[in-house]
Formats: sequence, structure tokens, C-alpha cells
Amino acid sequence: MNNLVFGKYIPIDSFMHRLDPRAKLIGLFVMIFAIFLPKSWWAFLAIGILVLLALISAKIGIRMIIQSFKPMIMMMIFLLVINTLTVKTGDVLFTYKSFELYSDAVFNTLFVIVRLLLMISLTTLLTATTKPLDLTLAIEWLLKPLEIIRFPTYEVALMVSIALRFIPTIIEETIRIMNAQKSRGVDFENGNLSAKISSILSLIVPLFSVAFERAYELADAMEARGYVPGAERTRYHILRFHLQDFLYVIICVLALAFSIYTRIYL
Amino acid sequence: MSLIEVKNVSYAYNENSVAIDDVSFDLEEGTYTTIIGHNGSGKSTLAKMMAGLLEIQKGTITINGLQVNVDNINKIRQDLGIVFQNPDNQFIGSTVRDDIAFGLENKLVASEEMEAIIGEYVAKVGLSDYLDYEPQNLSGGQKQRVAIAGIMAMKPKIIIFDEATSMLDPKGKKEIKQLMSQLSDNHITVISITHDIEEVLQSDECIVLNKGKLFMKDKPEKVFADAEKLRKINLDIPFAMQVKEVFRNHKIKLKANDLKGMADELWQLNSKR
Repeated sequence: MNNLVFGKYIPIDSFMHRLDPRAKLIGLFVMIFAIFLPKSWWAFLAIGILVLLALISAKIGIRMIIQSFKPMIMMMIFLLVINTLTVKTGDVLFTYKSFELYSDAVFNTLFVIVRLLLMISLTTLLTATTKPLDLTLAIEWLLKPLEIIRFPTYEVALMVSIALRFIPTIIEETIRIMNAQKSRGVDFENGNLSAKISSILSLIVPLFSVAFERAYELADAMEARGYVPGAERTRYHILRFHLQDFLYVIICVLALAFSIYTRIYL
Repeated sequence: MSLIEVKNVSYAYNENSVAIDDVSFDLEEGTYTTIIGHNGSGKSTLAKMMAGLLEIQKGTITINGLQVNVDNINKIRQDLGIVFQNPDNQFIGSTVRDDIAFGLENKLVASEEMEAIIGEYVAKVGLSDYLDYEPQNLSGGQKQRVAIAGIMAMKPKIIIFDEATSMLDPKGKKEIKQLMSQLSDNHITVISITHDIEEVLQSDECIVLNKGKLFMKDKPEKVFADAEKLRKINLDIPFAMQVKEVFRNHKIKLKANDLKGMADELWQLNSKR
């Protein structure tokens, strides 16, 4: 479970790491539109160059990006097969007996693949350069308008950050319980469906029971340190927008404008 | 008036199990008190009542002149911190830095001032190089030290350790026990609930609980002087105290309470002969 690449934070220092998480999050949303709107290769070329520049400035190795693509390869092949069988427009590129391969089938697939690659690069860029906690703060900031309808943005953000903090602890716990159950003869790998379900139950029940125990103790620890739900608190982390954050958002908006332009005029 | 006054306190989880039965004692400011007793003797229940985590059913606890109840608890918690048993379940922040900040945020400390306070207290527990470490990369002892730093940063008068060393390896145990002594030297009132009979010797006062009742409250050497009384409730005697007892049975009276002190006395004893 430790070799998960997608969504992993890389603790180094770079231009992208220093950007305000809010700028990076807004940038991502803007770029998603910029990627999905255009139908021209010019737009993809421009966005591709931007993404490449961002990856370089984030000092993210190309190997990491390739690794995060890997889970998508099967899906892309599947997409190509479906498209070649169903799309019957454009020029015929290739004929084999009764089967004809149309140019649109190839181009549609390529479009989707390029879009996906750009999307994955961008999200990897965000998660690799932003600490989960900072991301939580950015999401909290974006949800701020919801406070008008009394949505507890701060509490939700605190909840999410505690959940993130406990993921490694719970994974450790899971491995420990699995080992304990294996030593008692539970087989997690083999057996038919009902045997598998009962072996999974032997993992889930103690896991939940321990998680609840942890939650109670954590609540006690939080209260003992003076936490009162809903009460006013000061903040240790305060996000500050700098000039480079504005510039970053502006570049993303320009990319969106360009892709809208190509959609309409090219 | 004592800093902590416990008066006729009782607590029952249900009708059949009385956890604390009519316990009364006073603790003076700056004393280091250990509370010992078997599992189920009510030690942790007592600590949780002091920290306002369990409602007091009968009797009163007064801390720094304020009675522990729903109205006063937020005020009392500014004077009282508690370190729990499980190092993982009290690590709230995602890094050492954030965990210490959590209490400060509750105390409404301004963000600009936090950095200096965090730096000061993390140095006091010797973890200055670990500020950006995540809990899964720290040992149990280090996590407990972070918890202690987080509580010290809130500048409480009293720190309760609820079996804070029981899940640690010998090295971690030693580190935490040293920190407790240091805290006590800095005039912080330390209450340590423990199974570690050796730790009792470094404290000023010892409370022995048995089946929810106050069994003894005295200086550690006096508590251990009556070894038979403790053995009756199946409590262990520290090794040094056992040695002292053997000598006493051989009509050799020693004053020291540690092995080195006793050895020195024995040397002198022989040289006089």
C-alpha cells in the first residue's frame, strides 16, 4: 500500500510547492475546463507546454508521472477497441476483410487519451506539491461562502485533517489485525466467496471496534487540551496570497481563454 | 487551601461495579504524586474526573479554588493538562508542529506568537529536529514527548499522566520519567498514575488505591516501609526496598532509598567496626 503514486505528496522545495494551495486548487479547476473544451490540437499543444513547464518547475521526475499513468493504460486500450468498432465517420484508413478503421475513431481516442494524460498530470501536480493539510485549508476557504447557510466549514476541515492524519495509523492497524488473524488460521487469499466474506469480516469487526475506541480517546485528548466544539479558535496556519499566486491563476485563466478561442474559431 | 482537594468522591459505572468509593485527599502545589493500584482499582477513573472527562457522581473535586463541574471545566482545563496512555490516540495534528499548535489555537494564542512558543517547548522535550515529522515516523516515546510539549506549551499548573509510560519501551519509559522529574523541579504539580513501582520512588507522595478505596497516602519510603500491608493487596515492592527490608530483618537499619546510597552506608558500617 506504500507504493501508491497517485495522490502522494513529495516533500521537496520548489516553485510549485511554495504556491498558495488555493491558487493551485483554483488553477486546477480552471485547467479542467481548458482541457475538456477544445477540439483543436493547437489548444492541446499550448496546454501541454504549460503543463510540462509546471511539472519542471515542481521538480517532479518524469518517472513519477509515467507511473501514475500506468493504471490508465488498460482503460485506454479498451477505449481504442470500443472506438474502432463503433465510430464509422471520417476517412477509411485501413481495411481488413469486412473491417474498416475510420480516421475519427483513431482521432477521438487520441483526444480522450491526451485529455486524460493532461488531467492526471495536473492532479498529480497538485497532490505532489501540496501537503494534505494545506489542501484541506484551501478546500475550507473555497467552501467559505456556504457558511451563509450555516455549513460548518471549519469543523468539516478539522474532521478531514484528522481523518488524513489517521490514515497511516489505520493502515498499520489493518496489517496488524490481518497478521493476528492469519496466525489464528484465517486465510485471506484462498477459498470461495462465502469463505472470503467471513475472512474479511474477521478483519473488519476488530478494525471498527479499535477505530471507535481510538475516536473516543482522541475526543478526550482534544477536550483535555481545551478544544470546545464551535468555540472561537486562532489559527496556526494562515494562507497568504502572493504575487506569484495571482500570476499562476492568471496564466491558467489565459489558457482557458485560449482553449475557448480555439473551440469557437479554429 | 490546597491546589487539589478531593472530598468524598464516588463513581460507579453501573450498579454492580463501584470504581471509586468515598475517596478524599488533598494535594499541595508543586508536589509530584504517584497513584498506584491494580487494574480496576479506580486510578484512571479518578484522573478522568479531575480532568472533567467523567461527571462526578458523588462528592466534590476542587482545583485551584474552582469546583470541577460543567460551568467551570473550560477554566479549569487552562490549569490542567493530561497525558494519556496511548501515544497514537492523542496525536491530533498532522506533524509535531501542528500537534503542539492545536492546544495553542484553543487557547486563542495569536498565530505570529505560536512559532516561538512551539520552538521553545519542542526544545524542552528534546525534539527540535523533528518539528515537521509525522506521527508514523516517530517512536512511542517521542510521541509521548510531543504530547507533553503540547501540554507544557499551554502552561498548566497541573499535569496528569494517565499510565503515560505503560505502552513504551524501556528507553521511552526512562525519557518520560526524567521529564516528569524535570516538570516537578519546575514547580509544576505532577500526578502520575502508574504501574511502574520504581517510578514511585522518584515522587514526593504516593497514593495507593485498592478496590476504589484510598488504601494509603504517604511519602513513598513510608508506604514501602510497611511491605506486608502492600503484599496483602498483591502490590509489588521496588527492588531497592526489598533489599532494605532484607537488611532490616538482619537488624541492619539503612536510611537511603536507592541502591547506591545503601551501598555507601554499608561501606561506612563496615569501616566503623
